[in-house]
Amino acid sequence: MAEVLNNLLLGFSVALQPSILAYAFAGCVIGTLVGMLPGLGPLAGISLLLPATFGLNPIIAMVLLAGVYYGAMYGGSTTSILMRIPGEAASVMTCIDGYAMTQRGRAGPALAIAAIGSFVAGTLSVIALMFLAPTLASFALRFGPPEYTALLLMGLFVLAYMSGGSMLKTLTMATVGLMFGMIGIDAMSGYTRFGFGVLELSDGIGIVPVAVGMFGLSEILLTAGQATPPAVQRPTLRQLIPSGDELRLSVGPIARGSLIGFMIGIIPGSAHIISSFVSYGVERRMSKHPERFGNGAIEGVAGPESANNAAATGAFVPMLALGIPTSPITAVMLAAIMVHGIAPGPMMITEQPELFWGFVASMYVGNVVLLILNLPLVGVFVNLLRIPYSYLYPAVLCFCVLGVYSVSNSVVDVWIMLVMGALGYLLRKMDFDLAPIALGLVLSPILELSVRQSLAMSGGTYAIFFNRPLAVIMFVIIGLLLLLALRPLVFKSKDWRANVGLDEQG
Amino acid sequence: MNEPVAAGAQRGLRGDHVAGLVFIVLALLVAWENRAYPLGSLSTPGPGYMPLMLASAFGVFGLLIVLRGGASPLLATIDWTESRRAIVLLIACGVATLALERIGYRLTMIALLVFMLGVIERKRPLPTVLVAAGFAFISHFVFATLLKVQLPFGPWGL
Repeated sequence: MAEVLNNLLLGFSVALQPSILAYAFAGCVIGTLVGMLPGLGPLAGISLLLPATFGLNPIIAMVLLAGVYYGAMYGGSTTSILMRIPGEAASVMTCIDGYAMTQRGRAGPALAIAAIGSFVAGTLSVIALMFLAPTLASFALRFGPPEYTALLLMGLFVLAYMSGGSMLKTLTMATVGLMFGMIGIDAMSGYTRFGFGVLELSDGIGIVPVAVGMFGLSEILLTAGQATPPAVQRPTLRQLIPSGDELRLSVGPIARGSLIGFMIGIIPGSAHIISSFVSYGVERRMSKHPERFGNGAIEGVAGPESANNAAATGAFVPMLALGIPTSPITAVMLAAIMVHGIAPGPMMITEQPELFWGFVASMYVGNVVLLILNLPLVGVFVNLLRIPYSYLYPAVLCFCVLGVYSVSNSVVDVWIMLVMGALGYLLRKMDFDLAPIALGLVLSPILELSVRQSLAMSGGTYAIFFNRPLAVIMFVIIGLLLLLALRPLVFKSKDWRANVGLDEQG
Repeated sequence: MNEPVAAGAQRGLRGDHVAGLVFIVLALLVAWENRAYPLGSLSTPGPGYMPLMLASAFGVFGLLIVLRGGASPLLATIDWTESRRAIVLLIACGVATLALERIGYRLTMIALLVFMLGVIERKRPLPTVLVAAGFAFISHFVFATLLKVQLPFGPWGL
């Protein structure tokens, strides 16, 4: 405990430096704007900003990008509540009751509870991260290639089971991502695979062009022709104050959302999206008046908003402790520190204490900054929503080209982004989820290396995956998830989405 | 996005049938292309080992999607109204990509924005030119000058 506090003091001595504070503030502002803009989620926003961090020191780079990440989580709630437009996917559930509250003239309290819930969840999960990440890092030193293989596969299966769509389709998309990850030089043999004579492909396909293409460009292709958004309410500071009843009803959902979000955040996958779905379902199920949900229940705002912010922080645990990017977003952030020659993994916390603890402390600072930004300044940010979409999307498109090109000054990356945008557009039309592709691409090299190392260790037998207790536990979980996914087919029963009422909400 | 259709309610090709078949064909193509890389042995898997495993899984998933595709929406019911605009935007971005290193960042962005705002969105000429030039020069200043991101120059140093 004393050691943690000492380390935290070290972190604050780093995070409270004026330059770092300024970047944390800038990251939160950019993130809030990114979260509010339809077509730019946190992943595309972070990817576009990545090249700008190459010239910064690694702590500042992490603080800036993390600010964008949780800023986008906050910002996404504003458009969801005021306009029923989720700025990013994790805010979909907030739309339902948040917008219903706006229609009843309670937009201010909905925004306030979303901001307070996000602040509380963000702060609680940073405390959990602070204690859990170093413990997990020392535990992870026991992990060998078979355990890493099992962990990565378990992450993909959890994502497939928890995602809103079909498990089969999610696994298929993850396989597409894993196959994309096969492109480029094989680290173990030096062979260039699937390069098709294009020199730039020997480096493989980067996460940035894929993320921007699939999440930024495809969204623009789907929505470019839409009419100008409707008029937006601008609540005053006085209107933001929630009633006593609203505050009382929000306490439980915020606490539960924080816990659910953090737990789901640790597991690989699109945690911030899944956690808001699960939290909404749990709150509806626990409510004495579930009929209020969908008609402006404050719990339907407090729970999901807390959960998606807690999940955003939870996702940093495996990233910092294991060096495993459990989501495309954390992959881009890892890329930002690897550019500076820092190897992520269990040793990073002891070898780079200033980076780790400075980053942790900056999260506390970021949460305070976001609370300030999202309560009194919400009226200022709302002005952004007045820009007609016909002006907004061409600018976002140009940012996509600019951001992707500047990662490695290569037009090949821009071509990849365009191909991914077209592919993402087609897949979304066919109701396929794109997040598993990005996650598969990120995990692919680690998974291949750990599978091949495991087989080499065992002398060519798959039994190694079933001889090691930790790996066995994870494979048992994979088996259970498969059985749970098959259960509705065999027994004609409802699956978890139906049980928490999500199928009705879309 | 798409209207859900009850299984077996209407006859015709469904979205998942097409998607599944495309996945099977792609899996076969990957497996075919993978012949160039040694598979190695189980104790020392070669560079072709993992791609073949993944292509096999992809093919099996594609087959399952075809088999379970009866409940997916009919292909004809999928709304493609915005597809023409999407294709035009993709072509415009493709042309901009070709131009980027030839005529420089600022001229490319001005041309791309003038096309999107003036031709696709039919905005009036003055706001179109002002937004296009403003975006190109301000974004160049922020990224290239302040953040030191390298962006290509074109004729006249633009």
